[in-house]
Amino acid sequence: MSGMRSITLGHYLPGNSILHRLDPRAKLMGLLILIAALFLIKTFSGFFYFGLFFVLTFVSSRLPWRYFMRGLKPVLYIVFFTLILHFLFTKGGQVFWRFGPLTIEENGVFLGSFMTLRLILLVITTLLVTLTTSPIAFADGIEFLLRPLRVFRVPGHEIAMMMTIALRFIPTLMEESDKIRKAQMARGADFESGNIFRRARNLVPLLVPLFVSAFRRADDLAVAMESRCYRGGDNRTKMRQQQVTCLDYLGVFTTCGIAAAIVLTGV
Amino acid sequence: MLIEARDLSYTYMPGTPFQVEALKKINLGIARGEFVGVIGETGSGKSTLVQHFNGLLKPTGGEMCVEGKNIWHGETNLRKLRSRIALLFQFPEHQLFEETVFNDVAFGPRNLGMSGSEMEQRVRFGLTSMGLDFDTYRDRSPFHLSGGEKRRVAMAGIMAMRPEVVVLDEPTAGMDPVGRRKFMEQVSRLHREEKLTVILVTHNMEEIARLAERLFVFNRGELVLQGQPAEVFKSVSLIKETGLEIPAFSELLQQLRQRGKEVRTDLFTVGDVAGEILKLSREERT
Repeated sequence: MSGMRSITLGHYLPGNSILHRLDPRAKLMGLLILIAALFLIKTFSGFFYFGLFFVLTFVSSRLPWRYFMRGLKPVLYIVFFTLILHFLFTKGGQVFWRFGPLTIEENGVFLGSFMTLRLILLVITTLLVTLTTSPIAFADGIEFLLRPLRVFRVPGHEIAMMMTIALRFIPTLMEESDKIRKAQMARGADFESGNIFRRARNLVPLLVPLFVSAFRRADDLAVAMESRCYRGGDNRTKMRQQQVTCLDYLGVFTTCGIAAAIVLTGV
Repeated sequence: MLIEARDLSYTYMPGTPFQVEALKKINLGIARGEFVGVIGETGSGKSTLVQHFNGLLKPTGGEMCVEGKNIWHGETNLRKLRSRIALLFQFPEHQLFEETVFNDVAFGPRNLGMSGSEMEQRVRFGLTSMGLDFDTYRDRSPFHLSGGEKRRVAMAGIMAMRPEVVVLDEPTAGMDPVGRRKFMEQVSRLHREEKLTVILVTHNMEEIARLAERLFVFNRGELVLQGQPAEVFKSVSLIKETGLEIPAFSELLQQLRQRGKEVRTDLFTVGDVAGEILKLSREERT
């Protein structure tokens, strides 16, 4: 169960806010624009305005902040690591602190906090989109965005289909691995102690059945799709037709405008 | 009491929007050597409950006791506990992983630190206890067996640990009638001859009525009814409310009784019921 709990990153929460109702294509485009803006911002005041915009959208999404923060947890390690690395190894400017060969210098502090902020903003903005978009809608959005790449023979539909299937089976396989783990624990298996080699070897009773069941499921799914005459790509109609509304245009244009404004003030 | 739950509650994913209260203040006790049945609709909390018996799940409220001791207090060795109270999950054939039947059945004993002839003896016991011939099966691949055989090999893997209690979570789901009968025959033989305590979770009312000495009925995470099968199946409306069925024999005898016939209502096998009805018709003729 502990494994289940930590994977809240990107777990869709149904809701009815403006952000939830926006077309996934609009949301993805908005997200791309915001990420681009994030990498163009060069000053802290830029980040401040960006953060302000984030807080406004977050409040309007009515997501429970506690749950949101929990999704952020796994990323915090990377953030912390970035901070430490920059503090210790980026040199230049005034020296703040010295301990033997270790020094913390002005440029390090500046760049460290700057990168950390950028990383956090990047993650929370993405999280905001994934938490308010159902995985299926998300894959549809990706398919749409990949459409221009058809010129280069990128199989957009197939990629989106693979994504949908993968996302669909993550909870199933997690449940399955939880069950097999418990079943083997009931036979005295030990997954918690021993050194790394021992632990790796102890995973065999978990991994073999898991792979067997994954292949079985894949086979079943392939047969099920085949017997419904599935063929992807061209001329395929969708059950959920996505309707672009005024709200979507408004969303994309507002995001564009705000991102541009932030970048201009922050360069 | 061997296994005892006191005000046991369990909540899945507490503190998230996906929070589900699976068990609400359950109190029950199971004595050594009993054969008890746990019944309830899908999602009624019965699978969650049985995973508490050997410490696979930690209660979010209340106590889980084995021989009067709370297994989550003090130094209960959970691995040892799991070899005493063994659990066979639904579709247990999915847990097979070794290249030969022998190795797979030996997985449990090996984890208990056994080897050599002692281990072989355990494997032999496990296989024969499920009606599988040791020499025929030992070198075969578990992946090339039939569904019913796979399941019996999985159960043999549990029996090879020589547990005092086995918890079976819908062990015969998806099996054909012959395989189901064979499987349950072996289990009830182990219960009779080896004094094995059996806790059976099932949807099959006919089966449970015939085999179990006591029943626990679950509905939406609550223990709504418990007692001997004949007693439990008298509460027709309550049982139907929980989404379960009354065994056909039980219903037949109860209807006869409602129409003023003097029949026993605690019979669950074809032979017994036929005898009772014959007796009735004979009495009516005279």
